[in-house]
Amino acid sequence: MKPLEHDLAVGAAADGNTKLNVIDLHKSYGSHEVLKGVSLTAHAGDVISIIGSSGSGKSTFLRCINMLEQPHSGTIAVTGETLKLITDKRNGALKAEDPKQLARLRTKLAMVFQHFNLWAHMTVLENIIEAPIHVLGVPKDEAIARARKYLDKVGLKNVEDKYPSHMSGGQQQRVAIARALAMEPEVMLFDEPTSALDPELVGEVLRVMQDLAREGRTMVVVTHEMGFAREVSNHVIFLHQGRIEEQGHPKEVLTKPKSERLAQFLSGSLK
Amino acid sequence: MIDVNLIIERFPAFLGGTDGAPILSTSDGLQLTLELLGLSLVFGLLLAVPMALMLVSRNKWVARPVWLYTYVFRGTPLLVQLFIIYYGLSQFDWVRDSWAWEYLREAYVCAILAFTLNTAAYTTEILAGQIRNTHYGEIEAAKAMGMSKWLMMRRIVIPSALRRALPAYSNEVVMMMQSTSIAGLVTLADLTGVARRVFSDTYMPFEPFLTVAGIYLVMTFALVWLFKRAEQRWLAYLAPRKH
Repeated sequence: MKPLEHDLAVGAAADGNTKLNVIDLHKSYGSHEVLKGVSLTAHAGDVISIIGSSGSGKSTFLRCINMLEQPHSGTIAVTGETLKLITDKRNGALKAEDPKQLARLRTKLAMVFQHFNLWAHMTVLENIIEAPIHVLGVPKDEAIARARKYLDKVGLKNVEDKYPSHMSGGQQQRVAIARALAMEPEVMLFDEPTSALDPELVGEVLRVMQDLAREGRTMVVVTHEMGFAREVSNHVIFLHQGRIEEQGHPKEVLTKPKSERLAQFLSGSLK
Repeated sequence: MIDVNLIIERFPAFLGGTDGAPILSTSDGLQLTLELLGLSLVFGLLLAVPMALMLVSRNKWVARPVWLYTYVFRGTPLLVQLFIIYYGLSQFDWVRDSWAWEYLREAYVCAILAFTLNTAAYTTEILAGQIRNTHYGEIEAAKAMGMSKWLMMRRIVIPSALRRALPAYSNEVVMMMQSTSIAGLVTLADLTGVARRVFSDTYMPFEPFLTVAGIYLVMTFALVWLFKRAEQRWLAYLAPRKH
């Protein structure tokens, strides 16, 4: 069994300032355990980078937080409200006891995906106003005003009536970020947001994310961008084989790795 | 030789004009064909949307009946289905004693029923295929935004699948339009029914059937054009970018 550090992190957690509190998450695919007890606490304004080689479980962990993947044990609390979980008879994993509660908590956890996942049949504007109108019940004109505000924030102009497939990857990802922002979420989850982009488009997305971090938004970012992890985040978690191998302030973790595996990982990642 | 005068003389009959009465004074011919087609397409589509959702259900007790339904209706000829409904149902006393008999005795109702059930089966399969093809990431995005299952179906999955189904559905509509030509076999005077009437009046087969073939051809062009416009509008997102 592993380290105390995540337990310590959890022990320190859960005051009024806590936006997201994930405790001891386990997840298996068949007999293969991909998450062996991962915890994370995000306070308001935290920018947490989760790094690790592919297969370390970092994306799976992020996707368990909003139940796109079903964990097998653990607890998840968003702004102090614990998600009620019960065993899913179909596969033995956990599922939300109350779909309405899950839906409500998900609206507080906007997600940005590696492959953008914009709704292809909708224009940019329709993509952004869809969930605010139909999930949050925001009046249409207000949703449109919100959409324009956030499109402006991500630096996109004259794209409202375009379809996602007619835009570059970097633009699509910025639309996806605007779509997430329009939910005015408590925490933003980024699942390798720049991994599917051409190298010259990575910068425009990272700059937007950096702006969001400066605004004090709470973000959990699974990323391969060591520059981002180092410069923007205030906490880095290194996952290895489903466990937190090391975590702490990026200046510490990324420059003076304690574990050999992290040192190895960092030397392989070039940046 | 083709008797052009016969074609000209009898042409109004295809548009509902009989014995010197002006065209559209009866519903025979074109109007009946369009009614049969339009009503069965509307009812068929209304049936197909929920059935497609049932067909893609993970619950086999929901999916299996629809699977059986589409299997039966796609696996048997439409003409046979029409005959079973029109001639077959009247054998049963309980059918004749029921409230539905008032309607089922009408060839018109039987034809619409048969066409509806048939096109619903094909449309269900077309739609279910497109629902299954929905990009998984779009479903995850909907879930992550806090959409309920039904909201996601209503706002994301169904609109997207309906659009992508358009090209295949346009084929189904054209096929259905041609298929309405069997309505004449249960006494209805649709376009082909009128052609057969002219044939039996005159013993001239070539002229009336050539006329009716021409009318179907024009209708097919019109339908194809309509669907092309629809695709330009609703499938614009799949078109190559214009700039």
